[in-house]
Amino acid sequence: MSSQKNNVCEEQVYNMLYKTNSKTVFNYIYYKFGNEEKAYDAVQEAFIKLWENCSKVTPEKAKSYVYTIANNLYLNVLKAEKVRLKYADKSLAISNESPEFLLEEKEYHKKLEKALSDLPENQRTTFLLNRIDGKKYAEIAEMEGVSIKAIEKRMHLALKSLREKIEGL
Amino acid sequence: MQENYLAKWLNNELSEQELEEFKKTKEYASYKKIADFSSKLDAPNFDSNKALEEIKRKRSLKNTKVIHLSPIKRFLRIAAVVVILISASYFYFNTLDETVYTDLAENNSITLPDASMVLLNADSKLSYNKDHWDNNRNVILKGEAYFKVAKGKKFTVETADGLVTVLGTHFNVKNRKDIFEVTCFEGLVSVTHKGNTIKLPAGTSFLILNSKNIPVEGPKTLEPSWINNESSFKSMPLKYVLSEFERQYNVKIETNNIDTNIIFTGTFSNKQMNIALNSICLPNKIKFKLEKNKVLLYAENAP
Repeated sequence: MSSQKNNVCEEQVYNMLYKTNSKTVFNYIYYKFGNEEKAYDAVQEAFIKLWENCSKVTPEKAKSYVYTIANNLYLNVLKAEKVRLKYADKSLAISNESPEFLLEEKEYHKKLEKALSDLPENQRTTFLLNRIDGKKYAEIAEMEGVSIKAIEKRMHLALKSLREKIEGL
Repeated sequence: MQENYLAKWLNNELSEQELEEFKKTKEYASYKKIADFSSKLDAPNFDSNKALEEIKRKRSLKNTKVIHLSPIKRFLRIAAVVVILISASYFYFNTLDETVYTDLAENNSITLPDASMVLLNADSKLSYNKDHWDNNRNVILKGEAYFKVAKGKKFTVETADGLVTVLGTHFNVKNRKDIFEVTCFEGLVSVTHKGNTIKLPAGTSFLILNSKNIPVEGPKTLEPSWINNESSFKSMPLKYVLSEFERQYNVKIETNNIDTNIIFTGTFSNKQMNIALNSICLPNKIKFKLEKNKVLLYAENAP
């Protein structure tokens, strides 16, 4: 790789980094705090910081740099709000399921949403990054700056308490 | 079942045996539903293209707007401003013209940096620049002054009515209301009035009265008479004589039934008011009454 390609200050490199990571950064912050607007601001702020420090951050480090910035931005500021997630099952949308079934699905969605909001922030974030964004445990571990084992633990606990909540145990 | 088996299960890391075992549990269906359902959820929309455009706008804004200055640079900027202000004011105050005033009934003598002498008659003002004196012998005069200029570079007297330029002579410049009079006692002076320059040799005078050039006789003395505390006039309308009197004695003159345009030739003392009043009044058959700071002149035959 030429040094040019290796520089975050290069427009192309920067754009690439933005396109591949911005959505996940957005989701990441959203899962944490449940505030769409703040999540958006966090993404933008983090990437502006990345640009300002583009000469000091290598493209390899850029991703975790952005997560750290975005995370720090709202770490102590934001009170968690309820996370609202769209249910996007395409097969369902065009199905001719019975109204009872659809209603049941809707109910379930509500319960799950509630249960998710009640999870500790780190469990919710980890769980949703895996389920919605399809992030591998290793990746999440990198974002959160913890071990893979810790992520597994969070996943396990998240699933457990989700089930307990939903079933009203 | 191994530690964190739920996480392992989601990640397809359970062995076949473990998976079979897990599927048999009554919780399995619930977990399966949570896992399936949650993977179909989605976070709010995020348009990364639009957001990137926005970031570029912000970035360019920031680039032009935010200039990062180190604290030292900031300090240096402030320091530079302070230094400029201090030096500017120092320069300003140092190059300010030196100004000498005389009040009514007061004379003053000034020695200029090159030892030229200026005697300033009453109610006059002279300003000059001390620092650039060597290059620029230039004084600004309002009123009347007698100059004894040391030999040297061009010496200029600026008045509202004209310029007097000399190299080194003795001359008197009088610039009062309606009057611009230059009298040369020694050497040669050049007088510029309204763009015209004339040369004035020793023993001659140049008079502009009411914007008109009046031919006048030259002085018979070697110095203007006021140096010796006498004001002298040659064919001067009385009102200008009275103005001079007011200046010399700091009094107010009021006239009653008197034509102040009559021509007066003569002198009056600048020291003794009574004698001076007589010098003016007697030849003109004027009576005077002296009050405090006020002199009333009236015609002799008036009641």
